[in-house]
Amino acid sequence: MSAQKSRVFLIFGVRVKKLNFRKVRSESVLAILLVAAAFFVGCRSNVSNSNTTSPETVSMRRVTDDLGRTVIIPVKITRAVSLAPNLTENIFAIGAGDRLVGVTTFCNYPEQAKSIAKIGDTMTPNMESIIALKPDIVFVSTASQIEVFMTTLEQQGIVVFVSDPNSLDDVFQSLIQLGDLFGTRDQAETLVSNLSGRVGQISHLVSFVEPRAERTVLPRVFVQISREPLFTIGKDSFITQLIKAAYGESVTADVETAYPKLSKETALALNPDVIILSESDDNRLPNEVFRNSPAVRDGRIYKVNADLLSRPGPRLVDAMEQIAKSLHQEKLRNK
Amino acid sequence: MNRKIIISGTLLIALLGAAIILAALFGAERLPLFDLNEQQMSILYDIRLPRILLGACVGASLAVAGAGLQSLLRNPLAEPYLLGVSNGAALGTMLAFVFFESFELSRPVLAFAGAGLATIAVYQMAKSRAGMNVERLVLSGVIVTTFLSSVIVMLTTLLDAAKLRSFTFWLLGDLSQATTNGVYLSLGAVTIGTIILMSQARALNLMMVGERDAFDFGVEVSRVRVLVFGASSLVVGAAVAASGSVGYVGLIVPHLVRLTVGSDNRLVVPFSAIAGAIFVVFADTIARTAIAPRELPVGAITALIGAPMFIYLLRRS
Amino acid sequence: MLEAREIFVKYGETMVLDDVSFELDEGKIIALVGPNGAGKTTLIKVLNGTIEPHYHGRPILYGQDMLSMSRSEIARNIAVVAQENETRFPVTVVEFVLSGRFANGNAFGWETEADVEFAKDALADCDLNGFETRLMNHLSGGERQRVVLARALATNARILLLDEPTANLDLAHQAMMFRLVQRRCLEKGASAVVITHDLNLAAAFADEIIMLKDGRIAAKGTPEEVLTAENVKHVFGVDVLLDENPASGGVRVTNVF
Repeated sequence: MSAQKSRVFLIFGVRVKKLNFRKVRSESVLAILLVAAAFFVGCRSNVSNSNTTSPETVSMRRVTDDLGRTVIIPVKITRAVSLAPNLTENIFAIGAGDRLVGVTTFCNYPEQAKSIAKIGDTMTPNMESIIALKPDIVFVSTASQIEVFMTTLEQQGIVVFVSDPNSLDDVFQSLIQLGDLFGTRDQAETLVSNLSGRVGQISHLVSFVEPRAERTVLPRVFVQISREPLFTIGKDSFITQLIKAAYGESVTADVETAYPKLSKETALALNPDVIILSESDDNRLPNEVFRNSPAVRDGRIYKVNADLLSRPGPRLVDAMEQIAKSLHQEKLRNK
Repeated sequence: MNRKIIISGTLLIALLGAAIILAALFGAERLPLFDLNEQQMSILYDIRLPRILLGACVGASLAVAGAGLQSLLRNPLAEPYLLGVSNGAALGTMLAFVFFESFELSRPVLAFAGAGLATIAVYQMAKSRAGMNVERLVLSGVIVTTFLSSVIVMLTTLLDAAKLRSFTFWLLGDLSQATTNGVYLSLGAVTIGTIILMSQARALNLMMVGERDAFDFGVEVSRVRVLVFGASSLVVGAAVAASGSVGYVGLIVPHLVRLTVGSDNRLVVPFSAIAGAIFVVFADTIARTAIAPRELPVGAITALIGAPMFIYLLRRS
Repeated sequence: MLEAREIFVKYGETMVLDDVSFELDEGKIIALVGPNGAGKTTLIKVLNGTIEPHYHGRPILYGQDMLSMSRSEIARNIAVVAQENETRFPVTVVEFVLSGRFANGNAFGWETEADVEFAKDALADCDLNGFETRLMNHLSGGERQRVVLARALATNARILLLDEPTANLDLAHQAMMFRLVQRRCLEKGASAVVITHDLNLAAAFADEIIMLKDGRIAAKGTPEEVLTAENVKHVFGVDVLLDENPASGGVRVTNVF
């Protein structure tokens, strides 16, 4: 597709040239000048490239990213771009938010992130905006055509680092890793120990209220990602683990893929005790099929903000807290 | 001749009944044949049957619209999906989805309007002094379809991620949002649409041979055109608002019907309605059960069957 | 029965028909002759209300302004054989011929016994017995032309307008076509306007010949009156030899090369 496009463009270019050939000579002179200028710029960027690798100006080091690629990054990162809202949150959380020069339109947390330059969204970032920001490094979780994307940026001397945390443990590791990269390891370690402390507290609290003998009868939870059509969480979603960690049982834990569209018949037959809504504009009510489920009968419908629930970042612990408290409300109150 | 028609008509209706019953037996959840408990009754009557009936209405809608448009435009390759009529309805539905979400009836109404406008646009583009040939019509359809697709893509940027996922699925043709009200609405639209088309069937028999001939032999050509465009926009609008864009039904069903009963539209229209219903009920049963408890969009199944068939018909004609 | 009264038709700035008037009486055949682009087909279209003439001129059917009549009212009285159309649909010969009965039935309904009788007679008249279930797009050009005529005859309309009906026909069927039209006129009081390029056929079968040139009537009258060497020279720009047709006793036109 893209090859075809560029060919059309080329043909078009030739046509334009032919048309202008007789009329305006100065234009072709201009074109030559432009080509020459581009050549010079090319040379200069080559020169500056070799400068950056020389030890006097910037010292570099080798690290490994989540794809297992070895990347060479500057020891001191001063300008970073994040292409995922959770990575933006992670970078702010470890105290390096001031070094972010570009984020996506989805990055709405923390408040300061909103005032950083936007470079498009996660799946379709704008290459030119990224290059114009002259970052040292670009943090990516995923993107469409990620290989092409990385090659292009790396040709521009911009390092691409893939960080794709996909569980609570991953988030902790990612935070430490980012602390390493940004030189804020101490702050990252404090954060992680805080967060894991809170996770421990939640498990403790919940396991305390849940007598051992009854632990086998966990509340059966349905997580509704979207109401119409009915999407839920499946085997590969980190939310499934989160429910488990909060001593709940996801009724769709065995369904293939991460976010499957579920048959309404199955949903109805699942009869969940609790429904958790990933709260967004059109997902504030349980689907019609749950009309007669214990969850609706007993009013056990809970909303967790979609941003909290869907972003593997530090606020995932908030989501876990909310889920755990919702699932075991009564017992916690009795206590 | 007449006897053959009665036999094949009865056979087709019986087949539709059988298809509905069979479809009701299969689903993501296994249901016993007798002694259903309350929950199983609910699965059968609140979820499975409305969906099957909606599928039947959608199939009938798209097939009669295809049959009508083909005769009107004298082109056996005309089809609501390929002509951009479905995409017009999709754009209308999407506008309703984005701007008037609280007002439920806005979806079918805007879908109808979008289908109508797309039809007129394609017709105006394909028409020329020399008449309307196959290539011009298909090309105009492709242009309108891609244009509308790009408008839809532009509009999707207004949607947040969660809405986008729902919308993408719907766009591919999805019957999972069937409600009893939706079934009534579709059934009403397809009944009215089919009656209108059948009332024009004799006129269409002349139209499919030539517009000038039809005029000479007493057909009020412009009135027939308005009625057929109106009726097909009505049924396609209702079908798309209910289920998104289910492709190729309007193409292959009328064609298969013509192979069995000939070209007389008084037969082709009602037979297409029944055969289209059977086809979509069958395709949706696959969509519901193939990877249960997950689901496929029914539009993917109809396209999977329809696209190769389309190529085959294109090469033959 | 049918009258053209001061007909003017313009396509853009070109005057295609320029003050054409004539009358078609019961039982008569008028042959319309003239070079390509003389306005013959346009005149046929005016005569069945397809093209609306400019100014005050009107086609008149049984004393009534045709433009105030409905399509089916016109179609019940006038049947047209136009230059044939091809169809991509599998239409059978009998379906095609029956579709001509449209104006005589209601839209929803099926054909009556009478409709079927008319269709059968028309098929027999056009030498098409045994063709009923053949598909239109499997027929030869000449066969299709005869089916198109059969459809027009099946309407039982009293007026026939035929636009080059013999174009695709072999010698035998050319004569058959004209004899059929003639018989309709004699037996049922029908009348016809026929466009033809064959001046000898026109001379043999027509009661009246109208010669058109550049939208105007160049000559009008009986074949003997119209088919003169001057008229033919003036309208067609060719020299012809005229003598008596030994078979019919009418005029015979021979092209001088």
